[in-house]
Amino acid sequence: MIKFNQISKQWPDGTKALSAIDFDIPKGQFCVILGPSGAGKSTLLRAVNGLMQPTAGHVAIDGVEFAPQTARELRHRVAMIHQHFNLTLRMSVAANVLAGLLPVVSNVRALLGWFTPEQRAKSCALLDRVGLDPKHLHRRAGELSGGQQQRVGIARAFMLNPEVVLADEPVASLDPKISRDILTLIRDAARERNTTVLCSLHQVDLAREFGDRIVGMRDGRIVFDGTPAEFTDERVEALYHGARWEDAPTDAGSDTVIDEFESQLVAA
Amino acid sequence: MVPTMEIKPIPVPAMGTKVEWHLDQPYRARHLLILIAVIALLLFTGHRTEMDKMVVMTGQAVGNIVGLNSESQVVRGLSRVGESMWPPVIATREELSRFPEIDRNNLPLFASIEVREVEEQRMNVDSLEMEKHSTQVEQLVQPLGYAWTVFIKMLETIEIALWGTLLSVVLSLPLAWFAARNYTVNHFTYTLARGTISLLRSMPELIVALFLVLAYGFGPIAGVLALGLHAAGFLGKFYAEDIENADKKPQEALEAIGAGKVKTLWYGVMPQVVPQYIAYTLYILDRNVRMATVIGLVGAGGIGQELKGRFDMFQYDHVATILIAIFIVVFLLDQFSARLRAKLI
Repeated sequence: MIKFNQISKQWPDGTKALSAIDFDIPKGQFCVILGPSGAGKSTLLRAVNGLMQPTAGHVAIDGVEFAPQTARELRHRVAMIHQHFNLTLRMSVAANVLAGLLPVVSNVRALLGWFTPEQRAKSCALLDRVGLDPKHLHRRAGELSGGQQQRVGIARAFMLNPEVVLADEPVASLDPKISRDILTLIRDAARERNTTVLCSLHQVDLAREFGDRIVGMRDGRIVFDGTPAEFTDERVEALYHGARWEDAPTDAGSDTVIDEFESQLVAA
Repeated sequence: MVPTMEIKPIPVPAMGTKVEWHLDQPYRARHLLILIAVIALLLFTGHRTEMDKMVVMTGQAVGNIVGLNSESQVVRGLSRVGESMWPPVIATREELSRFPEIDRNNLPLFASIEVREVEEQRMNVDSLEMEKHSTQVEQLVQPLGYAWTVFIKMLETIEIALWGTLLSVVLSLPLAWFAARNYTVNHFTYTLARGTISLLRSMPELIVALFLVLAYGFGPIAGVLALGLHAAGFLGKFYAEDIENADKKPQEALEAIGAGKVKTLWYGVMPQVVPQYIAYTLYILDRNVRMATVIGLVGAGGIGQELKGRFDMFQYDHVATILIAIFIVVFLLDQFSARLRAKLI
């Protein structure tokens, strides 16, 4: 279970990126973080694996808080899928997938590129799972199409059997058809392994289609938290164009607007 | 219910409205002043570096060649050297008496014995005057003897350059790591690495070789070390800058899973920078071959040592052979590195 405990983030220039975010994600859930650009979705995701240090509050995975001492252990358990795939483009597809094992491979083995037969077999199995062919193994990652590159990124993410997968706008640079394929792949691969997925998106239709749960964010606050069925068109309108969430027609219970962030920031 | 979208038209100014925008002239008085200052500076330094004299002398040389004036110091100097350089020496011709152990019936490959009349100036003991005497001397002629000598020396030069390059790559990789701001351990290691790089780069190979010849004696050791140390500074600087400028995205992906710095560098950075590294290293190899000929002048082995010896003995025809050999090697190396680069990148 991932627990966000009153996470706030203020950038050095004074911009507030996150304001006292507080919610839990149970094991195995596909949780979509939805919102317009600049809402703080990526910042929130990056708090989970410590790529972003919050100014206040903390994130805990199964009760283990993120701290410099626990960073190594937690990062093994949290994989990430990136918007721009973040593959090493001049390296082979196989090497990119095997790079997902680097945290548990010794420096000598890593520098020599000398992986065990089981590790190599696993990379092949995962590449097969994401729909690539043996002929792709020795291609440079940069020669693949965007969709194929993201498939490699997904295979890399699952190499260490993560408990949590962070997908940061995984389909933002892909066309709608391929976006669906990729999200289906992430969702199904996660379900097979009972992996928790935290996926940021900005497309409402995709969020409704794939999310077990949708968390709507705007200006660093959570303005909606509920199931896709509860995420009505009025709420979509309010999330993207509405003046204030409070002004929009609501059912009680699903919105969590928190105003404690200022005191939090003072405390930080 | 979805609220209908409000679509506002993009405002267009009415016809004939005076536009308040204006685009300035690209040049102002300030630019003219800068131009004048630059020209004044060039004229000043140009006089100090005798650029005016160079133009006059070159003009005279051109005038002399086309027949406009009869006197040119440049043409005179060049033609004197040119005459003594031509033809380049290919063969060796040595007195047979210097080879007492040679077997006349079994000479080395291509070698032959020629008898020549040699004129000598000798002092007549009676008249105390110099007189010409001609004697018959047997000479051992090896038609490719000197070319072979130059080839062997050139090979030594290339070997020195190769080992110098190898040494510089080995030294510069750790230097580059510590000199890359995003991979260095702390501020101290960064400053230390950058300082070392600056120090190595600031020492010219020729000067380093001079000192190393004092330390290691004449020969290739001094050459290899001098080339390796200087090039390590160059490569360290450029390797480090490439590491700093490499695409951050793959590095972020590896950092996110906690791969550690060494492995991130190897998997996230190295594949990106390899083409540039190869280009720099090939440039250094090319440069080292050229520099290896130069540092031979101070006794650091190879063709340069031969060149210096022949030059000091005014044997310009031998010098010509050496210069041609250097040109051929540099030309071939250019072709080779261009092909290698095209293949690897």
